[in-house]
Amino acid sequence: MSHPSLVTEDLTIRFGGHVAVNSVSCEFRPGELTVIVGPNGAGKTTYFNLISGQLPVSEGRVLKDGIEITKMPPSARAHHGIGRAFQLTNLFPKLTVLENIRLAVQAHSGQSWKIMTRVDSLTELTAKAERYLEATKLGNVAHLPATALPHGDQRKLEVALLMAMEPDIYMFDEPTAGMSLDHAPDVLDLIAELKHDHSKTILLVEHKMDVVRALADRIIVLHNGALIADGAPDEVMSSQIVRDVYLGKSTEAA
Amino acid sequence: MTTIPTKGDRIVKAAVLIIAGLLLFAPFLFQDIRSLEVAARICVFIVLVASYDLLIGYTGIVSFAHTMFFGFGAYGAAISLKQMGPGWDAVVVGALSGVLVSTIVAIAIGLLSLRVKAIFFAMITLAAASVAMVLASQLSQFTGGEDGITYKTPDIFKTATKLMVDDNNKVVRLFGVKLNGKLAAYYFVFATCLMLFLVMLRLVGSPIGTVLKAIRENEARAEAVGYRVVAYRTFVFCIAAIIASLAGTIYAMWLKYTGPDTTLSFTIMIDILLMVVIGGMGTLWGAVIGAVLLVLAQYYLRDLMGTAAEALHGIPILPYALEPDRWLFWLGIIFILLVYFFPKGIAGTIAERGAKP
Repeated sequence: MSHPSLVTEDLTIRFGGHVAVNSVSCEFRPGELTVIVGPNGAGKTTYFNLISGQLPVSEGRVLKDGIEITKMPPSARAHHGIGRAFQLTNLFPKLTVLENIRLAVQAHSGQSWKIMTRVDSLTELTAKAERYLEATKLGNVAHLPATALPHGDQRKLEVALLMAMEPDIYMFDEPTAGMSLDHAPDVLDLIAELKHDHSKTILLVEHKMDVVRALADRIIVLHNGALIADGAPDEVMSSQIVRDVYLGKSTEAA
Repeated sequence: MTTIPTKGDRIVKAAVLIIAGLLLFAPFLFQDIRSLEVAARICVFIVLVASYDLLIGYTGIVSFAHTMFFGFGAYGAAISLKQMGPGWDAVVVGALSGVLVSTIVAIAIGLLSLRVKAIFFAMITLAAASVAMVLASQLSQFTGGEDGITYKTPDIFKTATKLMVDDNNKVVRLFGVKLNGKLAAYYFVFATCLMLFLVMLRLVGSPIGTVLKAIRENEARAEAVGYRVVAYRTFVFCIAAIIASLAGTIYAMWLKYTGPDTTLSFTIMIDILLMVVIGGMGTLWGAVIGAVLLVLAQYYLRDLMGTAAEALHGIPILPYALEPDRWLFWLGIIFILLVYFFPKGIAGTIAERGAKP
């Protein structure tokens, strides 16, 4: 088995007395798509925020390819290959769709500080951005400001931004949330394609069970901030503990 | 840029080109001393306001220390011209020391405080600007205190200097304009300001320009995509400070006098804010339009009102309301109307017109 590309060790964050993520230790490997499930408020997005750096870790460590990134700002983690898409659409609203994507390409091209070069002259950046536009079927709206797009297209742009960063670790937070049924397959196909490239580590927070079944190599379950199950999809879905959490057996058990 | 130019865009750019043309030929078109003062002030303020627009319009940084950097450049030139005498070496030393001090102070303020919330940053810049003002008035052996410093600039800018002489050793006139040192001084101001403006245009058209806009639009996502926001903010704060400082040096060369009122005062800071709001943020073109309108209003609104009051003589109330002394009141009304009808500034609002929805 390959070495883990991403490791969290006893990862914990407290907000005052509330422990939102409680000592989660987990390893993620290249070529593996892990779906993170759990009820609302289980700490899935918070767990993501700790890995990509939007929130400060209270305890524990995050390692990318063996390098500790726990204290790094999000930008430095991005340069270490951690890519993140957000659950709530999080774009550059007044910039055009193309500019949005080109920013993500440019961030990892090492050309951002060429202050006396016209951005239009960096054609390889634009060409690359256009490839991601085509891949996400946003080519026909390339010159509209992001804010003018319908919700489904904004979600696609959100995913396209992550793709254009070309990270090693892809973190999708409910990529199809609020998307109509005819849009969702576009995004899911992209994720499936990423899976075929066996060098990428993919983390996916998702509620829709058909999506989970179609894509997951492995499922981990968070509940009240703690990791309560980890394993192959069939195994986890049929386990008693998961049924209890999802079907609300907790009251009966108590 | 990648956005398709709209009709409004073209109108704004045409207006800016016309302004540039008028400024280029200003000494020939408006042949009196006051007009030349106005034209030179417009040139300098276009650069000053455009550099401020890099902060507030492009990156979303609110700073009240812009006049401080303007002052560093002006006092740098003033002090070195006074101490070293009116040579180009003094100008260079003055400009460079202004730039050096501005850069150091900008880096210090930037690294210490660009991480904090915008409102705290604004407060810190306000404090720094106040300190600079107090220092300028207290260190009077260097700065001349409240009186400021009067000095000579290089000989070529003396009004008595003849750039070209005819057979009788009299200064040559071109279209009725004496080719003297005053003219040289104006074209020095025009050329250096144009150069600085072009540098800024290039900067916002470069890859970094998009990053700055991205930081303004969504700081957290810019960071997540891989841009160290603090570094970019500090960088643009330094660039804006350096350009403001150079503008200060240019203005000091033109005025041959530097004092708190010409460079450091909060009145100028407010003028800059008004210009950027009237013109429109985040375009640089807005800076041009804002600077031109406000400087013209400051110089000519009184005259205009005087003429109007005269013309309306005999009609009740109106001449009284248009009394030239009330020009600030009318400027205020004009400002409110502008903000009401051009919420994104003149350049911003016009550019949006004709844009596709």
